[in-house]
Amino acid sequence: MAEQNRTIPCAELEADLVLLHYGDLDDGPRAELRSHSANCAGCSAYLTELATLLPLAVASDAPAQEFWMDYNRELRHKIDAAVESKSWWQRFTAMFRPGYLPAFATAAVVVLALTITFGNGLWSGKHGVNEDELSEALPVAENLEFFRAMDVLDDLDLLEVIGGGAKDAA
Amino acid sequence: MACLQPAEELEIFRRPLHSDANERVSGKGRTSQLAHSGDEELVALAQQGDRRAFEELIERHKQKAYHIAFGFARDREEAKDLSQEAFLKAFSYLKNFDGRSSFYTWFYRIVVNVCLDYKRRAKRTSAGEFDENIESEMEPSHTPSRPLAPEQHVLAGQLSRKVDAALQKLPAKQRTAFILKNNQGLSIREIADMMETAEGTVKVHLHRAVTALRLSLAELA
Ligand SMILES: [Zn+2]
Repeated sequence: MAEQNRTIPCAELEADLVLLHYGDLDDGPRAELRSHSANCAGCSAYLTELATLLPLAVASDAPAQEFWMDYNRELRHKIDAAVESKSWWQRFTAMFRPGYLPAFATAAVVVLALTITFGNGLWSGKHGVNEDELSEALPVAENLEFFRAMDVLDDLDLLEVIGGGAKDAA
Repeated sequence: MACLQPAEELEIFRRPLHSDANERVSGKGRTSQLAHSGDEELVALAQQGDRRAFEELIERHKQKAYHIAFGFARDREEAKDLSQEAFLKAFSYLKNFDGRSSFYTWFYRIVVNVCLDYKRRAKRTSAGEFDENIESEMEPSHTPSRPLAPEQHVLAGQLSRKVDAALQKLPAKQRTAFILKNNQGLSIREIADMMETAEGTVKVHLHRAVTALRLSLAELA
């Protein structure tokens, strides 16, 4: 079994060996660990293994200049769309400002009266809610949700477990 | 952040990019001036409605944002969408950036959160399909110090797919620490700032991630 061929570093140094591999140790501990590794087959082999395996986990990509031009153009359009969408949202929320409330309430009463008078079927089908407008409002709600989540990176593992993803505890 | 009003936040950006003739005339000088400004200065200008300042921030950070996203998604289109989404979120909520951390830290936190959020959604909706995409698109994308022989290349491909599958199994914090360190070469301090945690905690996450990956790769090593 492969496990039998595993390199066994000194257990108490393993975490530091990872940092040594990444060049994240201060001068003193680094010199100490290098000196130890030079005389310890397990730690030395572990460092070699890290140097072989970890670069394989690097996902790198070097898109051409054209990609970046498209990137800029697309992003500019997305920002324009966000500004437009916001403009719609602003008009919508403006309806609820105090000055507009009496007019809005009057309109609501009229609509309610008409609904009661003419029955339920009248507002279904082609007179239904404009789905395009609704879908414009959704990203706003999503953004709010996202930024609430920004404050709780700690909860991400929990969310993953709930989502059936992670098995391992952090 | 619970009392955000995105409608108001975006109001400042409604002005057209080139809103007056004087600005058009001095466009080049302005661009050059912005290019020499610090992030914080650009943020302050963008918060006052200067869209060019925000575009300079995009120019400055798009490659890194893209590469972080690529580390998570391992797909060019996905990485593009994710990094652009991060810029959009930054754009929408820039007014709420209070300067307690640097823009760099704040923004890359957004990038990481967008990526983790995407991974969570991908897992929830179509885990099988997602893994398949990775399998078909993954190539050994590292740059080895020496060119690999054909048989080594095949082995590297297998390892790379294995690594990716193992990465998906890691808890979010371990995966984040690992990708930011292994792909981006960020310092432990930078990662700690982005994850809003202690450096010691990042080291623990990193060590656990490496250990888990090493075990996953045992049969190929
Ligand atoms: Zn040792």
